Amino acid sequence: MAQVGERESEELTLVTTKPYFDLPTACPLCLPLFIYLKLAHFPFRLSFNSIFPDSDQIPYVESGTYVAYNNENGGVIENLKRDGIVDLDSEFQSVPDWVAMKAMISSWLADAMMYELWVGSDGKSACKIYYSDLSWPIVKVLFLKQVYSVKQHLGITKDNAEQREDEIYKRAKIAYGALSTRLGDQDFLFDDRPSSLDATFLGHVLVTLHALPETSVLRSKLLEHGNVVRYAEKHKTKLIESSSSSSGPQFRSVPSSSTPKRGPSNWSSKPKSQPKREKTEGEKTFKRRARYFLAAQLVVVLLFLSLMGGNDAGDMELDDEDEGNAFD
Amino acid sequence: MSNPDSVPDLTPPDSERQKPFDTSEIDEEEDNGGDENDVEDDDEDEGGNDGVFRGPNRPKPQSREARFRSEKLKMESLLQRMKTGPVSVRVHDVIIKGNTKTKDHIIEAETEVLNNVGSMQELLKASQIVNLRLQALEIFDSVKITLDSGPPELPGTANVIIEVVETANPLSGQIGAFTKAEAGSSTVEGSLKYKNLFGYGDLWDGSLAYGYDHSTELSAGLYLPRFEGLVTPVTARAYLLSQDWLKFTSYKERSMGLSLGLFSSEHHDVAYNIAWRTLTDPSQVASRSVRRQLGHNLLSSLKYTFKVDRRNSTMRPTRGYAFFSTTQLGGLVPNNRSLRFLRQEFDIRYVVPLGFYRAALNFGVSGGVVFPWGNGFSSKPSSLPERFFLGGNISPVCALGGPTALWGFKTRGLGPTEPRRQVNDGTADPSGVDYLGGDLAFTALADLSFDLPFRWFREKGIHAHVFACAGNVAKLTENEYRNFSVQKFVESLRSSVGVGLVVPTSFFRMELNYCYIVKKFDHDRAKTGVRLTFSAS
Repeated sequence: MAQVGERESEELTLVTTKPYFDLPTACPLCLPLFIYLKLAHFPFRLSFNSIFPDSDQIPYVESGTYVAYNNENGGVIENLKRDGIVDLDSEFQSVPDWVAMKAMISSWLADAMMYELWVGSDGKSACKIYYSDLSWPIVKVLFLKQVYSVKQHLGITKDNAEQREDEIYKRAKIAYGALSTRLGDQDFLFDDRPSSLDATFLGHVLVTLHALPETSVLRSKLLEHGNVVRYAEKHKTKLIESSSSSSGPQFRSVPSSSTPKRGPSNWSSKPKSQPKREKTEGEKTFKRRARYFLAAQLVVVLLFLSLMGGNDAGDMELDDEDEGNAFD
Repeated sequence: MSNPDSVPDLTPPDSERQKPFDTSEIDEEEDNGGDENDVEDDDEDEGGNDGVFRGPNRPKPQSREARFRSEKLKMESLLQRMKTGPVSVRVHDVIIKGNTKTKDHIIEAETEVLNNVGSMQELLKASQIVNLRLQALEIFDSVKITLDSGPPELPGTANVIIEVVETANPLSGQIGAFTKAEAGSSTVEGSLKYKNLFGYGDLWDGSLAYGYDHSTELSAGLYLPRFEGLVTPVTARAYLLSQDWLKFTSYKERSMGLSLGLFSSEHHDVAYNIAWRTLTDPSQVASRSVRRQLGHNLLSSLKYTFKVDRRNSTMRPTRGYAFFSTTQLGGLVPNNRSLRFLRQEFDIRYVVPLGFYRAALNFGVSGGVVFPWGNGFSSKPSSLPERFFLGGNISPVCALGGPTALWGFKTRGLGPTEPRRQVNDGTADPSGVDYLGGDLAFTALADLSFDLPFRWFREKGIHAHVFACAGNVAKLTENEYRNFSVQKFVESLRSSVGVGLVVPTSFFRMELNYCYIVKKFDHDRAKTGVRLTFSAS
């Protein structure tokens, strides 16, 4: 058991938010990283943290004592490149077009996604993606905090709200047009080879198509580019849905109320029949011992109360020794 | 406190009282600074026994000396009668005076014991109880209870007159030191109290506490002695708590919550707590197990505490016993979106006096277990802040409630560890480990305390002690219970022995100890040597 645990901890593990909307993770920051590792054919396990939606550390990858957080050195993909673990961009770094497209995706499209999730739509999609495992008082407060923070980041005030919205959608439309032209009918954006740009763009497109509501303005602008939609669905089938039938991590979009908090038990690719038998026996023994322990506690308390002749539950205890000294 | 046994100080009768018959008044006055506590006894009408005390009306005023003699005679006669047997009397009416802001029913609720008295002796005792209870409300500067004779048509009755003086200054402040056993450290707390804002005996307080374990707590509380007819007082406390465990377990804890005291008596306490708790790691070096627990959680739990403490002192027990048991059930919301756990801990103490040099042998055993509940509970981890951590800078003799402190072991200084994140910053320093605590904990202690053979030390209460302790924590969750065995647990018990000097002061108990670590494991933070501990009451 310990050896399996150690092996598991040495394997690269990607920690993201939970799956939703038929995607392995519906968070627009986490999905690109998932796709990047898939495009690089790098084996990894998937694990979830569903109680820290406002963390800037998530997504992160870990292997043993090595951890690459999202809020360090420009992101996890940059960390993986820097640490020599995975690098799909070695030949593209100096291509001007590539750099420009990257800047456009990481600013205009990222801003548009942030706006649409938290401000542009009714927020239901965002709540499902990030808050499905949290209690409603916490959800309410975190949601309001996040909306405020997004508005601050995008410079939206009461006076310029409409104007900013137009600007954001206009930029997104320009970006979609440029990327659609760049893509054409190819499999990938550059040189028919995958890069981190494909991972980031695919992540954005898949979340826009599957997570945002049908009334979303951003979604409707994206649907105007058929080749981009086909590109995304094709890769989704290849990377995400085909991997679910192989030995890779399993996922399924499930209603939140029945989703357990801890992901790894859902994602194990080991056959379940044998461990399940042991687990039942062990569980029975543990339950029995727990019952004995609690019963022993109860017996001790009851014995104590009866033998020591516990006092009444009175508020005040006077010193009875002096009672009626003069009156005896 | 009033003392009915003391020799009464006779004062002239109240000139305003016009009684149709002679009554002897027995005044007892004892000035205790600001608190007055008077019990005045009037002789009561005795049904069928008029001879001694009821005389014919005397319209002519007597001389002072004659009156004095008459009253003294009556007093002695009453005392004689009370010595020989119960003097039958019952309470007819309770009259409350002096409360301008405080509602009558608050005071009346504390006087229920008076309704059941059947004799003079019981009445005196009940009056004392009522006096204590009213003073315990902390909203009166003084409480004066006068016993007067009842209406003449009802013989054998008495009226009880309660005169209260409400506090002139409702705002008060205090600073104190306390020991937080579960955190393994002491805190310094400053608080402001506002008494009786709405006249319901309500006590409002705001406090700021700082602990030596880098914890800060800001809280505001309300204490209601009588709420909607409930038997016991209701307390409510809203708090904002921040605890920094970065050094030991790479996380910071921030909690915002409300705690409601539902039932409280001498031995039992039931409280409900709801809180929003966030664990973060700004240092970004946490180990894997800790990383998995970072985030927001809703805590909704019920806690039941049972305690019996028959030791003669908490600072230096020399005889008696004590038993503490705390049960906490978390996850009291209709869905599964809150922390679900069951936590049980107990602590047993027994002190044997040895009869020389005020020596005493203090034995203690404590244990605790925590585990999550719900689907798949055996494979889930327990929540970090709910686990048991042993070690700290308080004395195990004073840390009562559960397994917490061990002499010689530092805060969170023993138990399962996990390597932290390796940071490649060019230095060769190892990243260290996180102390993860355990789901099962056990400690045992034996402490022999005795006076030193020097008068100066004895006068100051400074004494010496020789001690030994042992303890261990183990993980049971995430299926680790399958690998657990009692034998392994016992074999891996950490232990220490030592000798030291104990200096009790009015604020805290200080110990200067030399600890020798008998058994520890690789990552345990414990060292043989001199250590200082501070424990507040």
